[in-house]
Amino acid sequence: MGAKIKVVERKGKTFFEQLYLIEIFKGMAVTVGHFFRNLRDNSNLYVRHYPEVKPEITPRWRGRHRLTLHEDGSIKCVACFMCQTNCPSECIMIEAGEREDGVSEKMPVKFEIDLLECIYCGYCVEACPMDAIRMDSGVFSVTSSNRENMMIGIAELIEPPGAFNEDEYQKGVG
Amino acid sequence: MGETVKLFVNSQEVEVAAGKNLIDALAVAGIQIPHFCYHPALGADGNCRMCLVEIEEGRPPVVPACKTPAMEGMKVVLDSAMIKKVQQDMLEFELINHPVDCPVCDQAGECDLQDYYMAYSLEESRMDVPQVNKKKKLDFGCGVVHDQERCVLCGRCVRFTRQITETGELGIVNRTDAARVDIFPGKPLDNRYALNIVDLCPVGAMTSSDFRFKQRAWFLTRDKGVCHGCAKGCNMYIDHHREKYGDDIIYRYRARTNLQVNGYFICDEGRMSYHLQNNDRQTETIVGGASVSFDDGIKAVVEKLNQAKKPLMIVSPNSTVGQMWAVLRIATLYGGDVSGYSDGYIIEGSGDDYLIHEDKSANRRGLELLAIKQDRAHLLETLGNADLVLNFDNDFHFSAHDIEVAKLLSEKDYVAICSHRLTAFETASVVIPIASYSEYDGVIINHDDVIQRFSRAVHKNNPPKDIVEITRLLGGAITDWKRAWPGIRQTISLLREVEPDQIPEEGMKLMNSGEPDVTA
Repeated sequence: MGAKIKVVERKGKTFFEQLYLIEIFKGMAVTVGHFFRNLRDNSNLYVRHYPEVKPEITPRWRGRHRLTLHEDGSIKCVACFMCQTNCPSECIMIEAGEREDGVSEKMPVKFEIDLLECIYCGYCVEACPMDAIRMDSGVFSVTSSNRENMMIGIAELIEPPGAFNEDEYQKGVG
Repeated sequence: MGETVKLFVNSQEVEVAAGKNLIDALAVAGIQIPHFCYHPALGADGNCRMCLVEIEEGRPPVVPACKTPAMEGMKVVLDSAMIKKVQQDMLEFELINHPVDCPVCDQAGECDLQDYYMAYSLEESRMDVPQVNKKKKLDFGCGVVHDQERCVLCGRCVRFTRQITETGELGIVNRTDAARVDIFPGKPLDNRYALNIVDLCPVGAMTSSDFRFKQRAWFLTRDKGVCHGCAKGCNMYIDHHREKYGDDIIYRYRARTNLQVNGYFICDEGRMSYHLQNNDRQTETIVGGASVSFDDGIKAVVEKLNQAKKPLMIVSPNSTVGQMWAVLRIATLYGGDVSGYSDGYIIEGSGDDYLIHEDKSANRRGLELLAIKQDRAHLLETLGNADLVLNFDNDFHFSAHDIEVAKLLSEKDYVAICSHRLTAFETASVVIPIASYSEYDGVIINHDDVIQRFSRAVHKNNPPKDIVEITRLLGGAITDWKRAWPGIRQTISLLREVEPDQIPEEGMKLMNSGEPDVTA
């Protein structure tokens, strides 16, 4: 086996190290040093100031779902049930109905996603023949204090705009 | 299989029934030949050219399989380059003006055009001219919705209205790519079998307005059932599904082929009767106007039965033979009378000479064979003597309100053991919910003396109990109709040779039928 072997130097064998307390104080000095430095000026923190500062997410990030709209504001979804069929966690529940606006024949009258059951795999996005469901809302933190609010319907799904510009998103999908 | 012939398919020897065309003969052997226009009920038309097969050393060498009878020594070739090209070209031709709107089409998942494209073509479209637009979502009447763009002009629907219903409402008008199926102006479909067109259509051109957008075909569980809408006992598929967080409900019935009973079709009324399995169901147990638990309801009935001097049990002509038998047994146990009065189920003049029978009950022959009295005089007499009435799901108001019976009943202590909320059960002091025919199994005998067995299809979240189980809870000894079968068989001489497990799928014609022959 030609694996590289790196020999790590063992520490903690010297007399002063074995005294233990000295090392404790040395460690505390580092901690307290950081504490006072950050108290004076916290711009150099090693961690993100969440939630004031949001993380940057890439266009390929799978966030909360959204239903996309045509340019005239009508919903793209034609209730073909491909996403529901493809969903491994069975969290999508659609009810289809007649569509009267001339775009298609069929549209969802109910489109619910149970976000507690969703595993954010993105299979619904891949299955959609209409590019009607996407996970590019940029919403990555989905929380609620009760179960009912985690079931979102059409109104909540069409509300968020895409968080990325179209070219970037398409690059990510491509 | 009667007479057989041996022929070669792709140089393999196959033995098939004689006298059939290649499509039907080879289908039995598990070899599928793609076809649109041929249907065994409508005969070979030969217009779609999808079933073309090559016959080695034949004259002509390429023939439509639907019009070619299977012959001894025939050498059929299905996998030659030429046949593959023919199939591919035919599909390309059908798809020239097809909208490919599968996402919004109800047929998707059970569409021949989809299946054949996947199996025989998978070609990209080469069309660079705009497609011909035709009309969509046309209301053809009787709940049939037509989409002219999806049509492959196989003419099955047209032939159905001409050959089967002989009403001829449909026709193909115009030629070439302007050809379309249409009704005559102002004359929509008007027959009692029109929805069979939806089953017949190999593509999504004919869809049902009732099923429209209700469910995708691939979610449905397809179980075999027997229609309880009339004494014919047509075979059908019960397509049901349990939505997440929902209950198991039926979405549609479809015709199931049984040449002994109904052939290839069912009537529209029967097809729509699935609504009754989902709606207006009795789910609560009621004692004295208050909703109680099922066990308390049964306790109340047992108490009443123990106190009653002369109970009367009314059985339904829709019940299975086993259920009727179970009711008979507890009637003997409690020294009661049994009536099968159900004149209301017969609606005179409502039948026809094809599939619809004027008796709207499924198992009246069962009542007759078990010698359960059905006449009104007997009911009125026993009703007069009785101090407790147990009605096992018999809707005697089925066609008209029987005022006299209703009045007599309202004076009695009345227990309704019923599957549906109906006027006939309104005056009951105790109501026990039970299963309906899609939720239990059993055997019924149709008016032609064909005994048919059906199995349970629907499994509700809170499964209601079947009449046999109810009689057991009321003190009866029968736990299972199949175990009670030896007793039934001894009583009904006609069933002496019948073993429930040996009843074939298409039912069994009972021989030497005639007078009820009861020994017990």
